[in-house]
Amino acid sequence: MFRIMKKSLATGVVTGQYPAAKSPTEPVSREAIEKAKPFRRSLTIREVDTGSCNACEMEMNALANPVYDVERFGVHIAASPRHTDALVVTGPVTVNMERALKDVYKQTPDPRLVIALGDCAINCGVFKGSYAVTGPVERHIPVDVRIPGCPPRPAEILAVLDRLRGAHTETDE
Amino acid sequence: MNDGSAAVERIRGAFALAITDIGSVHGVPMLRLLKQDVPAVARYIHTDPHVRGSLSLLWAVDHRPREARYELCYLFTLADRKDWLLLSVDLTGGEREFASITPVVHAAKWYEREIRDLFGLIPVGHPDMRRLVRHEHWPKGSHPLKKEFDWDQVLGRVQGEYAFRKIHGDGVFEIPVGPIHAGIIEPGHFRFSVAGEPILQLEVRHFWKHRGVEKLFEQQRLTEAVPLAERVSGDTSVGHGLAYCQAVETLLGVTVPPRARYLRSLFLELERLHNHIGDVGAICNDTAYVVAHAHCGRLKEQLMQLNDRLTGSRFLRGVNTVGGVSMDLSGVQLSQVDAELQAIEREFAGIEKILFANASLTERLENTGVLSEHIAWDHAVMGVVGRASGIDRDLRRDRPFAAYHECPPKMAVYRYGDVRARMRVRLDEVHDSIRLIRALHRQLPMGLLITQSVEVPTPGQWAISAVEGWRGEIIYVVMAGAEGRIHRCKVRDPSFVHWPAIQWAALGNIVPDFPLINKSFNLSYAGNDL
Ligand code: SF4
Repeated sequence: MFRIMKKSLATGVVTGQYPAAKSPTEPVSREAIEKAKPFRRSLTIREVDTGSCNACEMEMNALANPVYDVERFGVHIAASPRHTDALVVTGPVTVNMERALKDVYKQTPDPRLVIALGDCAINCGVFKGSYAVTGPVERHIPVDVRIPGCPPRPAEILAVLDRLRGAHTETDE
Repeated sequence: MNDGSAAVERIRGAFALAITDIGSVHGVPMLRLLKQDVPAVARYIHTDPHVRGSLSLLWAVDHRPREARYELCYLFTLADRKDWLLLSVDLTGGEREFASITPVVHAAKWYEREIRDLFGLIPVGHPDMRRLVRHEHWPKGSHPLKKEFDWDQVLGRVQGEYAFRKIHGDGVFEIPVGPIHAGIIEPGHFRFSVAGEPILQLEVRHFWKHRGVEKLFEQQRLTEAVPLAERVSGDTSVGHGLAYCQAVETLLGVTVPPRARYLRSLFLELERLHNHIGDVGAICNDTAYVVAHAHCGRLKEQLMQLNDRLTGSRFLRGVNTVGGVSMDLSGVQLSQVDAELQAIEREFAGIEKILFANASLTERLENTGVLSEHIAWDHAVMGVVGRASGIDRDLRRDRPFAAYHECPPKMAVYRYGDVRARMRVRLDEVHDSIRLIRALHRQLPMGLLITQSVEVPTPGQWAISAVEGWRGEIIYVVMAGAEGRIHRCKVRDPSFVHWPAIQWAALGNIVPDFPLINKSFNLSYAGNDL
């Protein structure tokens, strides 16, 4: 017990210790911010991997570590699409995942946002054209927000989520 | 006397009539066999006490249009000195059937199903002829790795249902999980058959993420496919990139400069480090021990940020290139690495103490998800999972690549095969990786980073390369096509071997322990599904 407390005290607060993100190359559209309004300070996210290389997943997971601590912004990761405000989709959509993606989308209650995370989700990346890929995501379900990168850094994902929550409303775009 | 050539002599003695030719591929002995004799020879290699080969890879090649034949190749790792041995057999004249070795060598099971799906060749005698890669909605006759199959064609969709293995009995019921899971995890399907709490059977149904990676390689040039290799399994970008580069370098006859070899080892260890530390945290998290998870997550993040500062990529992407490495590390950067690792090691040692002082944690880990040495051996398990089950294998020691000849690893081998052993291996390897990085830094030679080559290999030439990634053995087979293109690239992530094994490790455990067992294996879905 004392060891644990000592360790925690010695470590101090690490949250926020990361290099600032460069400003997103793809602006968050006014419509998307408008659509996110009802969620305001709490956005519940469900992550769906439709064939990523898993680096995008790792960066999503990193958002939950103490350094980024995404929960402090009211962002939660939900275990079921039925509890979800926003779907985050990674990877090109594979032939084998197409059905599952559409099912998840159907099960997500309206209003819902779809965020395409990573180059693969946006344009299939290096997997473009393959017989086994039917993506990108927007071919199957409407996409509201795009976060490019291969993979995008956690700070970059955070910056976009920030904008989506209206933290920098109106002034930029 | 147990080296490759001695084994070849023994096999020749026992099967003189089965062998049509003995050759070698870049120093690896290769026996060409008559088709009908493969199972007997494979069985002999697997079971003979003087040979004891474990099947490391089984792959097929469509040689058309150059030659009208399919070839099947079997790569064995011999138990004692870890030499390699190749078997090969041809299918000519429109033949589509070959004799399955699965009944005698379990490790062949998924490989043969994969070959059936991707090439349309039929493993006669295979006990499980269900589809593997091609899910049921794929139209009949679509075999992507046949040369006449267009890489960018649009597949049709048909009706069909996968038949899970059923267990019957009073009170037996099934729990389907996936393909989409509750956490941020890759897609895969697990079907548990349980009676009460204990798992009677687990069936893994994967390949949801099949992206056609091997076919995509065939559209690329030998010298330009590294980015694709780095995206086979993103968490192993260095391992896959390096394995690919090495295979092509062997083909081109390129010798990588010493400084590049050292840097390659250094990057590979950095990759091992952040993954192992992340895994230790994730295992703790699945026992609800959140403090340790938070600390490990923080250290992992620190390492990823270090990677980013050093190379511009948190996953160390782009460091490997055919012929060497594409970036150098300055003296200042290397001292930063040293300083940062020293801090991380101190912290990690502190966390370790906390871990093992906690009975409620260790209780969960001990005797959970046991993979016995026997089953591990039968399924050709290696890497972290193997070393936790008494399989003393590590390519860094057994077939040194990059700079591991000069800086060999210390082995961490445990016997119990449970979650705790798999965590132990990782803990030990974290310390050893840090030691290795220091040693590599100390001995880092000056010089060039890259050897250029203008060579274009003759079509049909091929090479194998293997790298001990943080999960285990990553194997690439690359065959040259016309004009510097790739004719065939076989990719094997260790996950492909370990997924069938996890089905055994789960038996008899309670369902709530499965996430923990799964974490302790931490396999790649992307690397498995390709
Ligand atoms: S965008 Fe890049 S990192 Fe993300 S899944 Fe695709 S290849 Fe992987």
